[in-house]
Amino acid sequence: MDWNFIGEIAPTILEGLWITLSLFAWSMLFSTILGLMLALMRLSQIAPLRWFSIGFGWFFRGVPLLLLLFYAFFALPELGDTFLLSPFRAAVLGLSLWTAAYQSEAFRSGIIAVDSGQFEAAEALGMTKLHSMRKIVLPQAARIIIPPFMGNAINTMKQTSLATVITVPEMTLLAQRIISNEFKAVEPLFTLALIYLALTSVLVIAQFGLERTFRLKV
Amino acid sequence: MSPLVKIEGLRKSFGDLQILNGIDLEVERGEVVSIIGPSGSGKTTILRCLNLLERPSGGLIEVDGQVLCSEDAAGKMGFASKREIRKVREELGMVFQRFNLFPHMTALENVIEAPMAVKGVKRKQAESTAHELLESVGLSHRADHYPLQMSGGQQQRVAIARALAMDPAVMLFDEVTSSVDPELAGEILLVMKNLAQQGMTMIVVTHEMGFAADVSDRVLFIDHGLVVEQGDARRVLDEPQHDRTKAFLHAVLERAPMESDLDAGDDRVGFHVALDGQGGPTGQEVSEAGSEPDELARLAAENERLRRELDGARRQLDRPEAGT
Repeated sequence: MDWNFIGEIAPTILEGLWITLSLFAWSMLFSTILGLMLALMRLSQIAPLRWFSIGFGWFFRGVPLLLLLFYAFFALPELGDTFLLSPFRAAVLGLSLWTAAYQSEAFRSGIIAVDSGQFEAAEALGMTKLHSMRKIVLPQAARIIIPPFMGNAINTMKQTSLATVITVPEMTLLAQRIISNEFKAVEPLFTLALIYLALTSVLVIAQFGLERTFRLKV
Repeated sequence: MSPLVKIEGLRKSFGDLQILNGIDLEVERGEVVSIIGPSGSGKTTILRCLNLLERPSGGLIEVDGQVLCSEDAAGKMGFASKREIRKVREELGMVFQRFNLFPHMTALENVIEAPMAVKGVKRKQAESTAHELLESVGLSHRADHYPLQMSGGQQQRVAIARALAMDPAVMLFDEVTSSVDPELAGEILLVMKNLAQQGMTMIVVTHEMGFAADVSDRVLFIDHGLVVEQGDARRVLDEPQHDRTKAFLHAVLERAPMESDLDAGDDRVGFHVALDGQGGPTGQEVSEAGSEPDELARLAAENERLRRELDGARRQLDRPEAGT
């Protein structure tokens, strides 16, 4: 392996870091909101909401992310010009829907793991459903949600690399360009792997911190 | 004046399983009513229907004049609006068998949460009330502890303070000593007894026959979702009229209660009925502990007594969920 070459290409690949991080941040933002809504819908007493949530999870967990990205970028515009998305937006859309399907199950598992007595105690005290969800159930569910939630986050971080296929100039695309221009694969791929590892390591450390924050005081 | 709580023909079924078959119960202001009965008889379901944690299948429930649910001529149930139900719940302080304290909040936060969220009480005011309430249940020194840092008895007393913080008209106690170690039941019962003496209206589902005999004005014996027998606490427990009541009391107490037990000891300590007579503290010893100003000594004596009572009861009672 040519270490000098790595030194030369690393800055080029890192030019895509900002886009990778943006893809990740936007996708996490949307998928967290949507995932929580889907989880609450799934637990709702209103049947059509439950069905929608189940159908959503079934579809977006059942279709490859690659396909979702192709759809968002190539197929959606067929519906009309308003759906003509930039590569970046199409990628955020695909990643958000895909991640939300997984996050909704993380949220739901956390919420149903909270003892039903907690909800009852809150209800018996006259609290509204919204308040007891926000102040009583979710803070306790958080402890249980964190591991699968962060697992999904790590997955999404890595899957931003798939945005390459719809020409989003994130790190993987830049690395691929180097490979085809310089006819050298080992160094760009090695560099890329190191950067992704660094990014996911940050998430692993964040998970430690979150778990400590939400640990029950015994 | 109309009764504070009025239940008429209350029925509840879960699928094919009929739990309540038409319960009638009226509770006046200041009255303490104990509900006893075998496991699965529907005692707990009555309380849970009363604040609509369970939706009744039939019958009428009225709290302080507000109809919570009623049945029309065709037998169709009608329920109060969510808002009205929440309003009534403010008047019904519920204490659960398994405490159900919020584990992510300190004792103090547990007590102030609902007054602030539901009644809009300012934090400062809520905290000062909470400190008073925690003190009244003997836990002012535990205000900043989390539930899991406390014993079962302490958690249950915090739960009582939490319910009282809403300034309810009625307190509902659902087998509140059943999930604590027997030696800790006494401290909970003592708090409840004090409440009763202060004139709180209480509906108590319990296996503590001594407590039922000593503190309640009225005892209901429930079996198979029906009130089998009810009346003055001492009369129901000492001279049960129905065979089923007799059989139940016989099973719960190692032997049928005797007059001499009822006469022994002073009223302040109470819990006469169920002493199992196996060389526990004598009435005299307990009376002395009762007049001892030191709270701890009194609690210790109560605890010891209740532990014996419960041991006896547990041995006799067919209660598969005991100790869970």
